[in-house]
Amino acid sequence: MIKLLFFGRLGDFAEGVAPNIEARADLTPAKIRDQLAADHPALCAELSQPQVLISLNQMIVGWEQPVFDGAELAFLPPVTGG
Amino acid sequence: MKPSIRIQTEDFDLGAEYQLLRQLDAASGAIVTFTGLVRDLEKDSSINSLTLQHYPGMTESLLQEIVDQAAARWDLIGLTVIHRVGKLLPSDQIVFVGVASQHRADAFEAAQSVMDYLKTKATFWKKVDQDGQQHWVESKDSDRAASQRWTTDD
Repeated sequence: MIKLLFFGRLGDFAEGVAPNIEARADLTPAKIRDQLAADHPALCAELSQPQVLISLNQMIVGWEQPVFDGAELAFLPPVTGG
Repeated sequence: MKPSIRIQTEDFDLGAEYQLLRQLDAASGAIVTFTGLVRDLEKDSSINSLTLQHYPGMTESLLQEIVDQAAARWDLIGLTVIHRVGKLLPSDQIVFVGVASQHRADAFEAAQSVMDYLKTKATFWKKVDQDGQQHWVESKDSDRAASQRWTTDD
C-alpha cells in the first residue's frame, strides 16, 4: 500500500480520495496523479500546478521518482507559515 | 550551539524563552528575539480566526535543516524556534525565533534568516475564517524574495 497525503488547499480538492492505493511496479508520483484524474479531475488539475511540491517519506522528490510499497507520498502546496 | 525546536498548540512565554537563552552561556553578548502575531486583517478584510496545519515529522526535519544552516553560517550559542499550530485568534502569538550569540550582528542576521526560510520552506499552511467563510492563505512573492537574499549573498 502507498499512503497519500494532501495538505493545505489540496486537502479540500482531495475529499473522497482513498487514503491508500495499491502498490504496483513502475509507479511514480506523476503516474499516481494521472491515475487520480479519472475520478478527481479538479484535484488532478491542482496537483499539476507548477508550485506543488511532492515528498516521498518526508523528503522532497521529483515527479518521476520511483514509489515503492509502504511509502508515504505527500502533495504540498506553497507553504504559508510564520 | 544549543538548538530548541518546538511545534505546539499551546502559547509560549516570551520572558521564559528569553531567560532560557540567557542562561545557556555567559559568553552570550546578544539575544535577539522575534515574535510573530496573528494579524486581524487578511487582504483588507477582518478575520475571525486562523487555523494552522502542518506536516508532522517533516516540519520538524525542515526546521532542523534551517537551524543547522544558520548554525553553520553564524557564530551562535543558542537558537530557539517555536511555531504554534491549530486554531488561533487575532493578536495571538504564532511564531517565536530567539538567537543567543556573542555579538549582535550574528544574532540579528541569524534570526532574520531563520524566519525568512521558515516562511518559504517549513510545511505549515494557514486557513482563515472571514465571516464564516474559510479559505487557505496564498503564499507571497515577497516572502520568496526575502529568503532568496540569503542565497545570493554568497
